[in-house]
Amino acid sequence: MTPQPLLMKPNSIKTRFAYGFLRALNSLNKNKPSSPSSPKVIFRRCRMIKLAADASMASAVGSRRAWSRAVLCKIRCQRALAMRGRIRSGGFRRRSGAGKGFGVGQTDGLRKLVPGGGAMDLCCLLDETAHYIKCLTTQVQVMRNIVDICST
Amino acid sequence: MDPPIINEASFSAANPSSYSLAEIWPFPINGELSRGGGGLGLRMCNFAAFAEANSNRDVSVDESTVTEQSGGGRKRRDANSEEDESSKLVSTSSAKDLKNSNGKRMKISGSRDENGGSKSEVEANSGPENKPAEQSTKPSEPPKQDYIHVRARRGQATDSHSLAERARREKISERMKVLQDLVPGCNKVIGKALVLDEIINYIQSLQHQVEFLSMKLEAVNSRMNSPIEGFPSKDLLDLIQNTLLASEKSRFTRLESPIFTNSHTLIVNPKFTNKLGAATCDSTGMLFGSQATREYMQGSQPEWLHMQVGSGYDRET
Repeated sequence: MTPQPLLMKPNSIKTRFAYGFLRALNSLNKNKPSSPSSPKVIFRRCRMIKLAADASMASAVGSRRAWSRAVLCKIRCQRALAMRGRIRSGGFRRRSGAGKGFGVGQTDGLRKLVPGGGAMDLCCLLDETAHYIKCLTTQVQVMRNIVDICST
Repeated sequence: MDPPIINEASFSAANPSSYSLAEIWPFPINGELSRGGGGLGLRMCNFAAFAEANSNRDVSVDESTVTEQSGGGRKRRDANSEEDESSKLVSTSSAKDLKNSNGKRMKISGSRDENGGSKSEVEANSGPENKPAEQSTKPSEPPKQDYIHVRARRGQATDSHSLAERARREKISERMKVLQDLVPGCNKVIGKALVLDEIINYIQSLQHQVEFLSMKLEAVNSRMNSPIEGFPSKDLLDLIQNTLLASEKSRFTRLESPIFTNSHTLIVNPKFTNKLGAATCDSTGMLFGSQATREYMQGSQPEWLHMQVGSGYDRET
């Protein structure tokens, strides 16, 4: 546990994500210290952890990218709706004819997968996809390391 | 953009006033006509604005500007040569020459006649007055000519729509290359649809891994009674550091496969797992390989968790 500050870049997305995610996990643990009994509680906690991971990833990226903006906006909307007690599924509008020349099924699949990808043209969509893949890889790596450290 | 109200007669008559007008001219011009504006500013000793207008223009400009550019380059060279001749001959005969050049320009593109008119105004000004300015115009010419040459070299359709479509396709293929470098095992795939399929599968598998990891984190946290809780910020930083520094060796130590692993790996993402082979198998196998998760699953509700995972992936894949 010797700190090695040379190897840690304080402003990289990875560090910021790790910091935010660990803080979110901490607050989640503080909020629910009781032993989980029912599957519903476990499932809800899983969802909350995943939401926390997504939110901390998006906030680590910031609002420079369209996908992180979409994630943050979605989480904010979900919180507002959950406070009001309503559940509504909203969809993004899709510009028609933006995916010509490609398989329409593939671009539609990509649009569904990349957050906020419904309203982009194909160039922006591919750009955002590249960044999103990078961030997802980082997220998986950091989460896996946290699991390793916590379980050993 | 105001129409060219000043004709040649008023021009040669009132030179200083038109000079001031043409000096003001380049600044309100932007967008498509920024090239003409740049040219004007150049002749009016405003080199800085010209250089800016040149350097700011990149490949991703809208296509209409590209056509304007390619047209404008030709026109500009004509204008320069004519200007040289006229300035060499006599400055008083500029009215006739200007009329000719103006007509030529209108033949070249009818939509730019007001610009041609403004150019002719400036020529009338710069011919007699600003010869040194012309001389220094020349060195800044070649890079732009190169650029235009590159854009207009191909013998394909040069209307704005096909140019726009070509630029768009180039951009898309460039980003596809970036994506192919990002996604492992995607370099051998030929065909954009298949590449997109691979990318989609990869993103899906990554998202599923995040989901699995959050489940596993939940299990670990509940079993260990919140291990991160109570860390002060210094320890949290240490933990982050260790998290980031955790090497690859811990990733492949837990590969003794439990009973669940095979079935879950198949459920996760059959296509991608089959395609990518060992790497994904390892990573997903690791998710359920840890002692904690196995104990947890066997201890509390294994059937429920199994069902949950299975239904989730059946729904999503």
